[in-house]
Amino acid sequence: MPATVGDRTATRHSAPSGSRTATLTLARFLLRQDRVKLPAWIVGLGLLVVYIGAALPELAPSEQDLAAAVPLLEQPVGRMFAGPAFGLDAPTYERFFAAGYLLYLFLLAALMNIMLVVRHTRLEEQTGRAELIRANVVGRDAPLTAALLVAVLADIAAAIVVTALAVGNGFALTGSLLVGAATGATGLAFAGVTAVTVQLSESSRTAAGWAGVVVGVAFALRGLGDMAEVGGSALSWTSPFGWASQTAPYVHDRWWPLLLLLGLGIVGALLGFVLQNKRDLGAGLISARRGAATASRFLGTPLGLAWRLQRGGLAGWAASIVALGCVDGAFADVIVESAADLPEAVRQMFGAEQLLTGYLAFLAIFGGYLTAAYVVFAAQVLRAEETSGRAGALLATPVSRSAWAGSHLLVIGFGAAVILLLTGVGTGAAVAGSLGDWQTFGDVVASHLNMIPAVLLVLGLCAALYGWVPGWLPAIGWAVVALAVFVGNFADLLDLPEWVRALSPLSHPADMPVESFDVLPALWLAVLALAGAGIGLAGLRQRQIGVR
Amino acid sequence: MNVIECAGLVKTFGTIRALDGLDMTVARGEVHGFLGPNGAGKSTTMRVLLGLLKADGGTVRLFGSDPWHDAVALHRRLAYVPGDVELWPKLTGGEAIDVFARLRGGVNRRKRDELCERFDLDPTKKARTYSKGNRQKVALIAALASDVELLLLDEPTAGLDPLMELVFQQAIREARDTGTTVLLSSHILAQVEVLADRISIVRQGRIVESGSLRELRHMTRITVEAEVTGSPERLAAMPGVHDLRQTDGQVRFEVDGSRVGDVLRELAGLGVRSIVAHPPTLEQLLMSHYGDDLSARGATTGVK
Repeated sequence: MPATVGDRTATRHSAPSGSRTATLTLARFLLRQDRVKLPAWIVGLGLLVVYIGAALPELAPSEQDLAAAVPLLEQPVGRMFAGPAFGLDAPTYERFFAAGYLLYLFLLAALMNIMLVVRHTRLEEQTGRAELIRANVVGRDAPLTAALLVAVLADIAAAIVVTALAVGNGFALTGSLLVGAATGATGLAFAGVTAVTVQLSESSRTAAGWAGVVVGVAFALRGLGDMAEVGGSALSWTSPFGWASQTAPYVHDRWWPLLLLLGLGIVGALLGFVLQNKRDLGAGLISARRGAATASRFLGTPLGLAWRLQRGGLAGWAASIVALGCVDGAFADVIVESAADLPEAVRQMFGAEQLLTGYLAFLAIFGGYLTAAYVVFAAQVLRAEETSGRAGALLATPVSRSAWAGSHLLVIGFGAAVILLLTGVGTGAAVAGSLGDWQTFGDVVASHLNMIPAVLLVLGLCAALYGWVPGWLPAIGWAVVALAVFVGNFADLLDLPEWVRALSPLSHPADMPVESFDVLPALWLAVLALAGAGIGLAGLRQRQIGVR
Repeated sequence: MNVIECAGLVKTFGTIRALDGLDMTVARGEVHGFLGPNGAGKSTTMRVLLGLLKADGGTVRLFGSDPWHDAVALHRRLAYVPGDVELWPKLTGGEAIDVFARLRGGVNRRKRDELCERFDLDPTKKARTYSKGNRQKVALIAALASDVELLLLDEPTAGLDPLMELVFQQAIREARDTGTTVLLSSHILAQVEVLADRISIVRQGRIVESGSLRELRHMTRITVEAEVTGSPERLAAMPGVHDLRQTDGQVRFEVDGSRVGDVLRELAGLGVRSIVAHPPTLEQLLMSHYGDDLSARGATTGVK
């Protein structure tokens, strides 16, 4: 053998050959791919901190104003969607910031990490790009390691930015450091969770969906735990969001709950590696079964196919939303009892009766947010069908574009209505069971059904986006859901201008059961929803298919 | 009557001119080979013919109507097989076949089952477990099992093995025998050579040659290899003779199609011991249009 060949072999063999070979090269590549996305997320987190810091002194110039706003956060519904409300007996801007908005920093950090890990692991495998990468001198564990490494870097950057801007708001240094660290640590915990969920299914959407379910459950558990008591109860400690909120920045400044978050991240990552080594590249852990050799008669129609493609997502969302509604409904008695503990001045504002109807109205709009999220999620199927080329193949048959897209819209709209009906019935039954009184049942169901036109308007908007600017569907669709949640939760707290509130479709229906049903907004919303669908289908008819 | 008529078709994507004045006609009942390298505009043409893309210039007629405006009506009469078949991961292959066939207006169950048998496809497996070749079989079976007048096949066999390639050729012949028109884009030259009645060669968005294989061969050179006793000096000087090389009584040259008779008479006087002459293969036809590209590329990448 010529000497040169021998030398080359030797060089090759002396190169690292472990399961993490090329991790750093890959990590640099991922950072290059994410050079816009990650900074945008981190800037978004920072903007929230800056905005709240600037808005609070505007809204509540004096200590009295601040104290007057405290019940909004301290009453049970406020605790449910904003956190355990530490230290509000002596409110300051920084404590108000921590009690009212911190949870949303944690939520955003979790979403950033879920999307990051899914994007760089399962999506790569699903598209086959991972195969190209792994055929090079790249270790088996390198892609996941690189993705997690980038997640760590992003979370450290987020922690630094959040801390710096919180200090910039004039908030205390220790508390601000803790806020930043808790944001980053929550992100890491969910990076670990996602490292596990991406192993389960072959589809990146399902992997993200499973991680989303974990976020939802964690958020709900913490919500119920915090609702039970000021400062949280034992139930709060079952949730990663609970751990992050229990750091109680600017009040108790506890550091040790962060260990729980880091622990979850590490355990998740390790479990992810173990599971990954048990499966083939591109495969899920849940293996494929055989199916029917022929299609049913219904499947051979545009509507039947749309139903088949949508039904899995619909079932998952419906089950989660209904379950959440039932659990929330079961806490109705806690609300009624809490009225007794409220200070006299507050009780005049929120009597037991008003507290309960307020809570029921909140549950209806909460169901509305989640159903709107389902609608945006389900509408992406149209885009996925197009970018994969399947829509092109379908539209090469004598199926019109309107029939194809219209079938999907019909299925999604029907699904949204069913979700709200079932959630209303489930929540109503749970409320009745908790109070031992079925008087409110009809109100709860009606208040959920009252959300249908508003949710359909979100669908109409998605249809219009898909017809004319399909590339913008995910961004604008999710932004509308985020806006609806933001307006619903913060409009009063931040004294948002009327036009911003009006932008949220869910702000328009009557606030049932606090107010009685109003047919006018329902009618307008339905008409606009139909118009959106019509505009979308018209756009789809005139544009080209499969052009990016 | 022509099933497909394109005249001066232009399609741009940003600054890229994917189709640059493409002219093509496909007559009823013929198998038309559509040849060209990657990126020449074959798939873009197919998608304009399907009305998925809108041409920026020129005219396109499918069965005499505009595919952009009458897409749905036209699609009743055709079936399409894309080069890169994507299926719904959760549906089985059999379900996907039925979906396509039913949307086209009904499935011929006997024919479908027979095709599954011939193409050796298990229709009970979920599409996500299929290889590229198996996904392609699904689309092919769905197309062939439909009762249509036109098959638009965009590199339909890129993932099939040689045995399946033969099954495919047989199936296309059967389709032609029942009067189906086929537009078959490919860069598998042997396949087109075997199946096509007429061929269009596309390059950079234009048709550079069109006609039957026989007509195309007239336009290019025939290769002659002979063993002769005399000196081939005079042969080299004849018009129409190119690239003459000789070694030890062996002579090899190319001759223009129009000059073959003259050259053979001259050759006969040289004492021929053996002779081999062959028409240009499709490779040579293509090379005569792409040769400059290849040599240009060879200059930059050929040197290691």
